Amino acid sequence: MKIRLNPIVRKDLQVAARSMKLSWGVFLYDLVLVLTFLLAMAIIQSEVGSVYSRDNIYSYLVYLFPVLAIVQIGIVALIVPIITSSSISGEKERQTFDIMLTTCLSPLRIVWGKVLSGVLRILFYVVAGMPILAISFVVGGMSWANLFYYLVALTLFAIFSGSIGVMCSAMSRRSITAVIRSFVVYFVIYGLTFLPSLIRMIYGMDAGESFLFYLFNPGVFFEEFFMQIMTGQSLFDGNNISSSDVGFFTGLLSNGTLWMFISGACIILMTVVFLLVAAWMINPMHSYAGRKRRKKKKGTE
Amino acid sequence: MLYINNLTKNYGKFTAVDNLSLHVPEGDLFGFVGPNGAGKTTTIRIVCGLLKASGGTVQIGDTKAAVGSKEMKRMIGYVPDFFGVYDNLKVKEYMDMYGSMYGMLSSDIAKLTDDLLELVNLTDKKEFYVDTLSRGMKQRLCVARALLHNPKLLILDEPNSGLDPRARVEMKELLKNLHSMGKTIVISSHILSELSEMCDSIGIMNKGKLITAGRIENIMQQAAGGKKIHVRVASEMEPVVRMMKEEAGVVVDSVRENELIITHSGTEEAVCELIGRMIQNKVLLTGFYQEEGNLESLFMQLTGGKN
Ligand SMILES: Nc1ncnc2c1ncn2[C@@H]1O[C@H](COP(=O)(O)OP(=O)(O)OP(=O)(O)O)[C@@H](O)[C@H]1O
Ligand SMILES: [Mg+2]
Repeated sequence: MKIRLNPIVRKDLQVAARSMKLSWGVFLYDLVLVLTFLLAMAIIQSEVGSVYSRDNIYSYLVYLFPVLAIVQIGIVALIVPIITSSSISGEKERQTFDIMLTTCLSPLRIVWGKVLSGVLRILFYVVAGMPILAISFVVGGMSWANLFYYLVALTLFAIFSGSIGVMCSAMSRRSITAVIRSFVVYFVIYGLTFLPSLIRMIYGMDAGESFLFYLFNPGVFFEEFFMQIMTGQSLFDGNNISSSDVGFFTGLLSNGTLWMFISGACIILMTVVFLLVAAWMINPMHSYAGRKRRKKKKGTE
Repeated sequence: MLYINNLTKNYGKFTAVDNLSLHVPEGDLFGFVGPNGAGKTTTIRIVCGLLKASGGTVQIGDTKAAVGSKEMKRMIGYVPDFFGVYDNLKVKEYMDMYGSMYGMLSSDIAKLTDDLLELVNLTDKKEFYVDTLSRGMKQRLCVARALLHNPKLLILDEPNSGLDPRARVEMKELLKNLHSMGKTIVISSHILSELSEMCDSIGIMNKGKLITAGRIENIMQQAAGGKKIHVRVASEMEPVVRMMKEEAGVVVDSVRENELIITHSGTEEAVCELIGRMIQNKVLLTGFYQEEGNLESLFMQLTGGKN
C-alpha cells in the first residue's frame, strides 16, 4: 500500500529541491551551526585552560547541546514563517491559486499541505545539522531520550510557526505583507504573554495567575525544557519562584513535566486555531475571500 | 446540463451579475459573449465555486450538489482567463499534481496524461518545464489539465486572449474536437464572430444582464430581423428608387450609381414578390442579394444601445 502524500507537499518539495535555494539554505544553516559550535568550543577551551586542573572539560561540554539547540530553534523560528508566509500569497501572486481552489482539495488540506511542506523543508536542514548537534550531545553526555524529545518538540514548534505563516499568508495578497504580519503575530505571542506578569511586577504585586499566560509562549516552553534537561529543575519550582506569590492554578503547575504537557497542549491548540482560521479565509464560500479579491481589483486598476 | 437560475452578484452597491438565468443543454458548445465588464468572468467564477453568489442557484445535471462542493468541482473543468504555472515543474509532473488533487492514482494519471497531451498536441513537451512553454502551449496544457478528471462540463474563460492567429485556430480545432467527443463546453469571448462558427448556442451578456440566448440559427435570424438587400440595376436608378419608396415594409438605406441598399422587414415571399414586380416594371436587374445576418452588428446593437 502506497502512502498518499498531500499533493501540495509533493509538488512543493519537488520544486524546492530543484531550486538553488534549498542547497544554499542547507549550506548557510550548517555554517551557522558549525560556527556556533566552534565558537563555543573555543570559549570552553579557554575557560578550562584558565581554571585549575580540577576542572573537567566535560562538565562544560554539557552546555554545547543547549547552545546549539537554541541556535537551531532560533533559526527554525525565523525561517519557517518566512517560508510559509509566501506559500498561499505566492500562489495568489503566481495566479495558480484559483485553479487549486477548483480542485477537490479542501481548504483545510491546502493549508495543512502548505504547513507540512514548510516544516519538511526545515527538517531537511535540521537533519543536515544533526551530526554537529550529535557531537555536542554525545560529548556532553545527554540521554538519547532527551534528543528524541527535543526533536519532537522542535517539529511541533516548526508546525506552530508554520501555521502562523500560513494564516498570515491566507489573509494577504502579497507575500511581503504576509511575512510582516507573521512577525507581528509572533511578537504578540512572545511579547504580550509576558505583559501581565511584567505589569504586576512593576506595580509590585504578586505574580498571581499571570504566569499562566506563559503556557502559550513557546519560548518559555523551550526554556523550561532545557531547564529540566540540564538541571532537572523547573522554572516554576518552589526554588525558583516563591510559591506563596502565585495563584492557585499556577501553583498546581509547579510540577515542570505537567507544565510542559499543558503548555504543549496550549501551543497545539493555537496551531489548530491558526490552521482553521487560514482554511476559513481561503474558502471562497465565505465572504472574506470575496472581499480580498475586490481589494485586489481596485489595486490593479 | 448547466442550469443557472436568477444568479445575482453584488459588489457593494454595484451589481456585476443581475438575475441571470441560463440553460446550457448537454453536449452543447455554448458561447458566452459580452463586452468588457459584462460579468462573464464573475458568472463563471461563481459556477466554479470561486466566488459566492449573492443570490440564485447553479445546478449541473440532475444532482443536487451545492456550488463549491466536491461533487460539483468534480463535474467542472475550469480554464481561467489568467493563470500561472509553477517554476521548476515538468509538464508530466504538472499533470500528476493536479490529478492527485482530484484524488486520482498516479498510474491512472500517467496513462491519461499521455492521451490528453496527444489531444492538445503537446506530446513532445512532456519532459519540458511548464514555465518554458509558450502562451498558446500553456493554454492548451491548461485545457488538458482541466480535462484530467473527466469533468462533465468544461468551462473556458476567454481562451483566445493573448494567442496569435495560428494558436487561435489550434484552440478552435481543439474545442471542436472535444465538442465532437460529446463534452459540454462553455466558452466566453468578447468576439461573437469567433464563436459563431463553432457554437451550437450562445448567450449575449451586457452589464450583468443576459440580453439574449438561444440556438445560433435563431440568433442569426434575429440578427437578420430587417433583411439588408443589395439591388443592382443596369437601367435608370430613379424609377427604381421611386418604386421602392412606395413598397410597404421597405426602407431605402442608400443609393449609389447602380446599386441600391434597402432594408426589407417582410417575409421571404414578400421579397420574391418584390423581385417579380421589379421585373414587371422593366427594371434591368443585374444583382439582388441579401446580406448574411450580421452578428457583429447585432452584438453592437444589443450591447451598445443601453448606455
Ligand atoms: N471583486 C470585485 N469587486 C468589485 N467589482 C468587481 C469585482 N470583480 C468584478 N467586478 C466588476 O464586475 C463587473 C463584471 O466583471 P467581469 O470580470 O465579470 O466582466 P467580464 O465580462 O469577464 O469582462 P472581461 O471581458 O473584461 O473579462 C465589472 O464591472 C467589474 O468591475
Ligand atoms: Mg472576463
